[in-house]
Order: sequence, then C-alpha cells, then structure tokens
Amino acid sequence: MSRKILAIIKREFWSRAKTKGFIIGTLIFPLFLVLIFGGIFIVQKVFQPSTRVYHVIDQTEIIYDKFSVILTDTLKNGKPKFQFVEEKVEDGNLDATMEKLQVKVRDEQIYGYLVVPSDVVESREIKYSATSVSDFEEQGALRWAFSKVISDMRLERKGLNADSIRHEIGMGNVKLVSSQVTDKGEIEKSGASSFLLTYILAYVMFLMMMIYGAMIMRSVIEEKSQRITEMIVSAISPFELMLGKIIGICALGITQLLVFGFMLFFIVKYGEPIVVGLGATDMGFIEIIKNIHFTLPIFLFFLFFFIMGFVLFSSIYAAIGAMVNTEDEGQQFMPPVIILLMVSYFVMFATVKNPATPMAFWASLVPFFTPLVMFGRIAVSDPTMPSGAYLSIFTMIFFTILMIWLAGKIYRVGILMYGKKPSIKEAIKWIRYK
Amino acid sequence: MKILEVSNINKSFGDFQAVNDISFSIEEGKIFGLLGPNGAGKTTTIRMIMNIIAPDSGTVSVLGKPNFGTAIDNVGYLPEERGMYRKMKVNEMLLFQTSLKSMKKKDAKVAIDNWLGKVDLLDWKNKKIEELSKGMQQKIQFIGTILHNPKLLILDEPFGGLDPINQNLIKDLMLEVKKNGTTIIFSTHVMEHAEKLCDEIFLINKSKEVLYGKLEEIKKSFGRENVLIEFDGNDEFLKNCDQIKKFNNYGNSVEVQLIKDGDSQKLLREAMASAFVSKFEIKEPSLHDIFIETVGEDNEEGGEA
Repeated sequence: MSRKILAIIKREFWSRAKTKGFIIGTLIFPLFLVLIFGGIFIVQKVFQPSTRVYHVIDQTEIIYDKFSVILTDTLKNGKPKFQFVEEKVEDGNLDATMEKLQVKVRDEQIYGYLVVPSDVVESREIKYSATSVSDFEEQGALRWAFSKVISDMRLERKGLNADSIRHEIGMGNVKLVSSQVTDKGEIEKSGASSFLLTYILAYVMFLMMMIYGAMIMRSVIEEKSQRITEMIVSAISPFELMLGKIIGICALGITQLLVFGFMLFFIVKYGEPIVVGLGATDMGFIEIIKNIHFTLPIFLFFLFFFIMGFVLFSSIYAAIGAMVNTEDEGQQFMPPVIILLMVSYFVMFATVKNPATPMAFWASLVPFFTPLVMFGRIAVSDPTMPSGAYLSIFTMIFFTILMIWLAGKIYRVGILMYGKKPSIKEAIKWIRYK
Repeated sequence: MKILEVSNINKSFGDFQAVNDISFSIEEGKIFGLLGPNGAGKTTTIRMIMNIIAPDSGTVSVLGKPNFGTAIDNVGYLPEERGMYRKMKVNEMLLFQTSLKSMKKKDAKVAIDNWLGKVDLLDWKNKKIEELSKGMQQKIQFIGTILHNPKLLILDEPFGGLDPINQNLIKDLMLEVKKNGTTIIFSTHVMEHAEKLCDEIFLINKSKEVLYGKLEEIKKSFGRENVLIEFDGNDEFLKNCDQIKKFNNYGNSVEVQLIKDGDSQKLLREAMASAFVSKFEIKEPSLHDIFIETVGEDNEEGGEA
C-alpha cells in the first residue's frame, strides 16, 4: 500500500514542480530580492547628486565662517556634498540681493540660498530658498550645522566652554549590552536581530501555509471536477489519497523553502565581495542578514512547526475541497481558515515580545495557534524552551491527528458527491457514515 | 472458478434504497452485462463491487477474496464518471495509473507502447491530455484500465457519450481483452451492445433483479412470439386477429408480438386473406424487446445518457 501512496506523492509533487510557474516563482523570488537591492545600489551610483552650491547672506557677519567649515560630507565620487559661497548684501539692499540670487537659482547656477538674520541667536530662524524644498536629509544637515553654531554661541555667551560640554555629554552615552538568561548560563545576543528573524520566519510559515493549503484544496477540486477521483479510489483508499496529497504538496513547499534558503545563503556569502568590489560602502541588506543569529535548532523547529501547521490546515483545506464542486464554491469556505491563520500570526506577534506571560502560554495551547505562536516563542527564547512548550506540542500533534481523521471521513464521502454543495451540518453527518 | 461473487447486497441512501438484495456470480473468461435503465442501481452495484462504497448488508468476493484485499491489483475499473488530469502528458498519466496497480515501470512502458500502438495513438504519447480530442481521451481512459492485464475488468457505461465509430472501437478492444483471458463485467442501458457482447446478463430495474442468466437461455425462454410481416394491401387483419398482443406498423412492414403461446399460422392465414404477404418471418426476441417487455415502456424514456 505504501508504494501506492508514493505514486500519489510523486504525482502531486512532480506535476507541480515541473510547471513553469513553480520554477519561475522559486528562482525569481530570491533573484527579485537581489535585483531590488542591486537596483537600489546601481540607481544610487548612477544618479548621484552633484555638489550643491548654496549662497549664504550672513547678516551677523560672524556665523558664516564657523558654519561653512562644519559640513564636510562628500559624495560617493569624493567630491564635496555642499559648497557654500558668502554673498554680501549690496548697498544695504537685502531685497535686491535676494532677487539677484533668485534669478541664479532659477537659472540653476546655484542650488539655493540661505539668509541668516542678524538676530539669529535669539530668533533662531534662517531662511532657506531653493527650487525644491523636499530633500529632508539635506535640510536636516543644514539645520544641524546651524544649530551647532548657534548653540555654541549661546553657551559661550553664558561663559561656558561648548567643546568640553559637548564632550562630556557624548561621554555620558550608555550602551545596553543585552544578554539572555538561559539554562546554560548567560548568552550575549542582540534583541533586534532575533526578533527580526522570528518575524520573518513566522511570516514565511504563515504565507506558505496559506498558499500551499489552498493548493491542496485546488488539487482535490480538480480531481473532483475532472472526474478523476473514482479511478484513483478504486486503487487506493480515499484516506491514503488525501495523505499522499498532503505529503506531496508539503514536500513541494519544503523544496521551495530550501531553494530560497540556499540562494539567500549564497547571495550573502558571495554577494558581499561582489558588491564591495563594485565600490559599495553601505551594505544595508546584507549586513542585516549577516547579523541574524540562525541556529540549527531554530531551523529544525521551523521545519517541524511548518510541517505540523501545514498538515493541520491542509486537512481542513482537503475537506473543503471534497465538499465543493468548483473553486468558486471553495472560495466561500476560505475566509474562516484565512482569518484563523491571520489571528494566529497576530497572536504570535504579541507573544514574541513577552514570550513568558500567561497569555503566551495559553495562546500556544490553542492547536491552530501552536505552529506560529510556539515557534515564535521558541525562536526568541532559544536555546531555552519556553513554558508549556512540550504540552502545547503534544496537544497540537493529538489535535492534528484528530483533524486528519475527521477530514478523511468528510473527504471520503465528499469526493464522490457531485451536485449541490452540502451545508456544514450535512458534512458533519458524513463523518458518521459507514 | 468464480471470478466474482455478489451475495445479497443492499444499499440505501437515506430513505432511498438504491440496491435491493442483488446476487450474482461470474465465470472466468465471460463477458457479463449489468443491464438496466438509468437510475436502476447499476453504478451503485459496481461501486460496491469495487469497494468504493460499503454495502449495508451482503458480501462481495473478488477472485475468491472477500472485499478485494490484494485482488485489487488484478482488477481494472473504468468508472462512469471518468476523466484525466488535463495538464498531464498521456505517457505520465498512464504510468501513474499503472503505478496505482503496483505495476513495474519497465513492464508498464512496454504495455503502454503496445496498447497505444493498437489504437493508433503512439504519436500522442508525449502530448498533454488537454490537447487530445474527446474520442482519443476515451481510448486513453480505456487503455489505462487494462494496461496491467487485469483478471477482471469492470466497465461502467463504457459506451456512454461515444460516437458509433468509437463505440465500435471500444467493443473491439473489449473482445481483444477477452481473448487474453480477462473476465469483463460492464453496465449499459443500450441493449444492442449487450446483445452483441454478453455471454450472461443481469437485468436490474428499480434496485431489484428482473432477469438473470445466460443470454441464449433468456432469449429462448421468451419464446418465438415476434413476427415480421412484409405485405401489400389492407392491414385490417392487424386489428382483427386475436393472436396479436401488440404491433408496430411501418406501412408496408409490421412487427407483431403474439399473445403467449399464440398461433403464428392463424395470423398468417388472416393476413393472406386481406393482403398480399411478401415476407413472413418468426423472429427470436431481441434483447431490446425483452428489456422493454420486462422493464415496461415507461422506463424506456431514459434514452441515451
């Protein structure tokens, strides 16, 4: 008998794995990521802004000299980001000078101009004019530089030494060295990256359960609507057929995950030197991934919970597929399942922040929530097992077996029923059929 | 040896009794027809034989084994509701079907080429099912059920939805399979097929057995009560002769069914008295006639499914 299940598994797997859609989807997704980040990098390189020239009217006549030396940022090609030119007010006529500068801005001879009023230390307002005032980063830099000059002046007016004050404030900055208390003592670990990893993996799990679960349903509906089922169940029991489907499509999902994983691994490993070789300084994306603390136990737990969650949800999807005749009819039954999945994702989100609360404990005991919630809790508590872990895993396994058994009963009757789709009540009656 | 034995099976769906106390058995190497109008219980009976649904009571034993067991791999089954994976290639589909019958891949490949050759579809081996015409698909479906050289072949309405050419082709394939020693049981509501193919028939109507036995014996038991007369002239005799139960008048020929133990010679004399008789033939009843007589004319409406 097991050889026949193998025939079902193989068919379910290969008939999908060989489709263009699957191959493209599997390879394109990681390449898509590479393209996005590569693209951002290239766009930054190609569309580098040139040096921006600002003319500064300094009515205080002391600020310009201090200000113009602060912003020494350079562009990626080594040229300075800012260039300042002091503009003297001609004949005491500020308006005429500004008009002259406006013409220069319009003619794109300069990027913009700044007017520092004589009472700036009190008013703390500086006029900024340019054709575009939407570059917040740039405005931020200018604001920061002026603020530094003005605050220094104000400190000195009180007879304080600005440099030493700034130094002392800087020295007062404290860093939190986070470490996690575990069975094996304390482990240094960055909070942010372990959360990030958990969220990403849980999200992948959630997506896979939703997409591949629906695939199970479509597969059942196809066999029903194409009238293939009866031929198959004359050779193999409906229950075995259902199991074969679930295993085959689960294997397909794992295959896709592994391909994603390997590609990501190689991108990180070999991508970095290439990007550096191209002259990149900001590693952004790769840096984030490299900081992720990905251990073998987490990987194994991920696989385990993915498989359990997948089997649990796909048995529901299989039962739905057996009850309906068309995909449209199947869609009507989907929202409760999807909502259940989404709720479990949100619960996971909440529990991961506080993995040791009673709420987290009870939430992970709900079998539909266990795969995502328990995985999240285990991942952030790694390498310690959080409270109730074993209890919730056993509850989930027991419940999953029960669901497969129930789904098998509905499936067995449903796949040979054509015509009107049954109500939930009728479907429950099927469970008691001999 | 009895290839198949069905004993007192019953099946109800809710209040509706689909199969009521049906029993029959089939000898090895025979073609057995399960006949009956639409909705008589043929498909339900076959599904119980195939162990797809369980009988409420009664037993089925295939190849001497109750409820199949390992015998399942020696049976081929073509359901009434049949189809294939549209996106699969012909070759893949057939290989999949043989693997469900525990056939070795090497043997399966040989059998596939052999049978595809017989139905002239070798060129289509690597085409997707959806590219095939309906007739081709039906041939492939039939081949899929016999590749593993089953001892028992069960066909539910094998001629349903086929044009006359393809009906003939399936009929030839059935005879070829029979030659290899395979026992065949098939259901139909079209009596012409059954008449040509069957050694034995089982007629089922309204869930119950109506007729069961060897085709020849059944025909004999129905006696020689059918007369074909070709004539020219007055057809008054058809109304007047007391030996006639009913008749079908086509103008210059008429099919007459005599009353039980009717005197055909008296009919001939009366016909000759009023018309010129060019032909007078006493016929064996056709299965069609037997069917209509036993099942009743109100059931005939079903027609071709």
